[in-house]
Amino acid sequence: MVAQFLGLKLRLLGNLFRRSPWQVFGLIVGLLYGLGAAFAVLIGLVALRTVDVELARSVVVVAGSLIVLGFLFVPLVFGADDTIDPRKFSLFGIPTSRLALGLAAAAFVGVPALVMAIIAAAQVVTWARSVPATIVAIVSALVLVVTCILGSRVTTTVATLLLSTRRAREATGLIGLVVLSALSPLIAIMMTVDWEHQGLAVLHSIADIASWTPLGAVWAAPGSAAAGDAGAASGELIIALAFVGLLWLVWRVLVAAMLVRPDRVSRTRAYTGLGWFARLPASPSGVIAARSLSYWGRDVRYRSALVIVPIVPAVMIGALAVAGVSLHFLVLLPVPIMCFFLAWSTVHNDVAFDNTAVWLHVASNTDGRADRAGRIVPPLVLGLIVIAIGTPLCAWGYGSADVVPSLLGTSLCVLFVGLGLSSVISAGFPYPAVHPGDSPFAQPQSSATGASWVQGLSLLAVLAVTTPTVALAVLGIAFGEGWHIASLLVGLATGGVALWGGIVLGGRVFDARGPELLAFTARY
Amino acid sequence: MTKADSILAQFDEHIAKLEADAARERRALEAALRKEKAVTAAPKDAPKAKRPKDAPTAERILEVRGLAKHFGDNAAVAGIDLEVDAGTIVGIVGPNGAGKTTTLSMITGLLRPDAGTVVVHGANVWEDPAAAKRQMGVLPDRLRLFDRLTGNQLLFYAGVLRGLPADTVRERVAQLAASFGLESALSRLVADYSAGMTKKLSLAAALIHSPRLLVLDEPFESVDPVSAANIIEILRKYVAAGGTVLLSSHSMDLIERVCDSVAIIVDGVVLASGTVAEVRGAGSLEDKFVELAGGKSTVEGLEWLHSFSD
Repeated sequence: MVAQFLGLKLRLLGNLFRRSPWQVFGLIVGLLYGLGAAFAVLIGLVALRTVDVELARSVVVVAGSLIVLGFLFVPLVFGADDTIDPRKFSLFGIPTSRLALGLAAAAFVGVPALVMAIIAAAQVVTWARSVPATIVAIVSALVLVVTCILGSRVTTTVATLLLSTRRAREATGLIGLVVLSALSPLIAIMMTVDWEHQGLAVLHSIADIASWTPLGAVWAAPGSAAAGDAGAASGELIIALAFVGLLWLVWRVLVAAMLVRPDRVSRTRAYTGLGWFARLPASPSGVIAARSLSYWGRDVRYRSALVIVPIVPAVMIGALAVAGVSLHFLVLLPVPIMCFFLAWSTVHNDVAFDNTAVWLHVASNTDGRADRAGRIVPPLVLGLIVIAIGTPLCAWGYGSADVVPSLLGTSLCVLFVGLGLSSVISAGFPYPAVHPGDSPFAQPQSSATGASWVQGLSLLAVLAVTTPTVALAVLGIAFGEGWHIASLLVGLATGGVALWGGIVLGGRVFDARGPELLAFTARY
Repeated sequence: MTKADSILAQFDEHIAKLEADAARERRALEAALRKEKAVTAAPKDAPKAKRPKDAPTAERILEVRGLAKHFGDNAAVAGIDLEVDAGTIVGIVGPNGAGKTTTLSMITGLLRPDAGTVVVHGANVWEDPAAAKRQMGVLPDRLRLFDRLTGNQLLFYAGVLRGLPADTVRERVAQLAASFGLESALSRLVADYSAGMTKKLSLAAALIHSPRLLVLDEPFESVDPVSAANIIEILRKYVAAGGTVLLSSHSMDLIERVCDSVAIIVDGVVLASGTVAEVRGAGSLEDKFVELAGGKSTVEGLEWLHSFSD
């Protein structure tokens, strides 16, 4: 039975390489990335061999706990693709214990297990300083691999069990994003610690706590053994082994539960009235705008694009401030940057976001211009709101109202140019997008190439068209008022022409290529 | 290779060629017959009793000529001709992968054909799409809907995209929901609908602009019998008022009961077409279909299935 599951997993892995060349390319990149990370950790662990026991133990425990944490929680947040879901075997009538064992064994075939095995072996090198330490390190290495792989199986299964409804999946995707964005302040706090003087103390105190948790105990035991503390080493090993035992019991229970429980059914929510449709004009562009607004509110793919909009300027300004650029000038950046991301990153692949639902526009012979104009309404409205609120705030932060015209000119120009260009690109150069209902992280593999050149070129185009306005704004900051007004006028002119031209040209492309766009969305 | 082998190989080749020739001849003959039938049958139009009496002659609402589509080397549709008269229900049947959906997609303007013309009510779909698509209501198979809208919103969306004023759309949405039994579902997201409800909603969306021609791909798939009867009644009323329906289905029984005429498509060509009575001949439509589609040849060799494993 176990042999059959191992064979199945091997075949699944082998078949990954029988997909399209680009998917295989992506897979190899992922493989190299995983092995690269393992190799980096390996070098670190081998290097720690020469470091004194106390420090090496603390470093290994803290870094190791993070690795175990990653194995446990990454699948929860990112939603692992579970090829050997226990439910898939529920119709074969295999006894639960054998199925649980077989599936667990199969989980050890794969890149994560390989990566973990390399790291676990390297950890033996770190601690092979005395005979007892070596023995404990070897035991720890085995426990380590089992903990990580079985742990990630358990969390993946919990995720598929709890998050099987559409709404729950969407919610976790969003939570993941928020967690990721919350990490940056955490990193900022870590930056403020005076590492030179207190760093080691902080590290040791974190390690002391972590070494008695299931995450760190398995890493700490060989270190304790190397330090000659047999009591601590055996205590930590017992914690580590108990955790593995617990994981096995949970896994066994989960498999049994999965076999008898069908997918969870979600409760549905009722919406009254027509929503945005009642508030916007009943014309093709009006209803398309209403549809886009409804989607921006309900579809997690749009919301995840929105979450990034305020994060990017914060990160950029933080980086520039660290690099030594004066805050006096940085204060002018957030509004144009947010406009840029609103305009460029949200709708330039909008048709692909519709997927095959775009047939309705093709079958109704919807005017391409109405389609284009309707789709850009949500980012346009949001962008104008950001400009209206942000411009006075930035000018106040800068300390002079003189910059208002050029700030307005630059922001409007970036917004309009980005939206105009997106209108052409989404009709002319769609690339595979996340399907409706999928996690926003489930970017199709095959998108790698097409996506990057479309994104890159369109980004360059937006920058190129807005350069004159930005240049005039910079001159305004350097030399004064006249240039500010010039920036506003040039910004409005280039932005207006780009927006209008983008809608007309994009509309023509949409009219001409409607069936081809539909065929494209049906392919991916 | 021995001499005997090479002779055998030559023999096989020869047989294959003969068979191919025979198939080609059969198709040519059928095409000729079909043309003749179209010429002779059209003026008579005896079996089309359902048309209202005030309609003077059968108007040709849809005319398809030489429609073809290749995907790579594979010919999905290899030259289809089809005529549909106003006020009739026409069924397209065929085995899986016969090219039904491809054909209907090309008729509705959703898939660009490699060759051939489609004329709807005098307008060429691929040259004057604005005029042609206005006449058509479309229910595609296996395409998504904007399912993050509520049923109400989606119907409103479809109605306005078709150019109807808001008041008319609201009125029609209410009436369509009542006739399809969708009232309680209108306030829910389409993503949360069952397959059958989604089908009914799509059908309502296809009807909302009162088109002359309805093109329905598998309208009865995953629809319960009560709803199917309900849909059939709606379609019959629509046809009695002069509308026309072109639909595809797997259910021969349903086609036989509902349709005035039928076309059997196999491997991307029309093998038989005409009124249901003409096509089915002496037996049932299903028998005729299985005969034309070349089925019932693989039921041998499953003897082990007659005894159970434990």
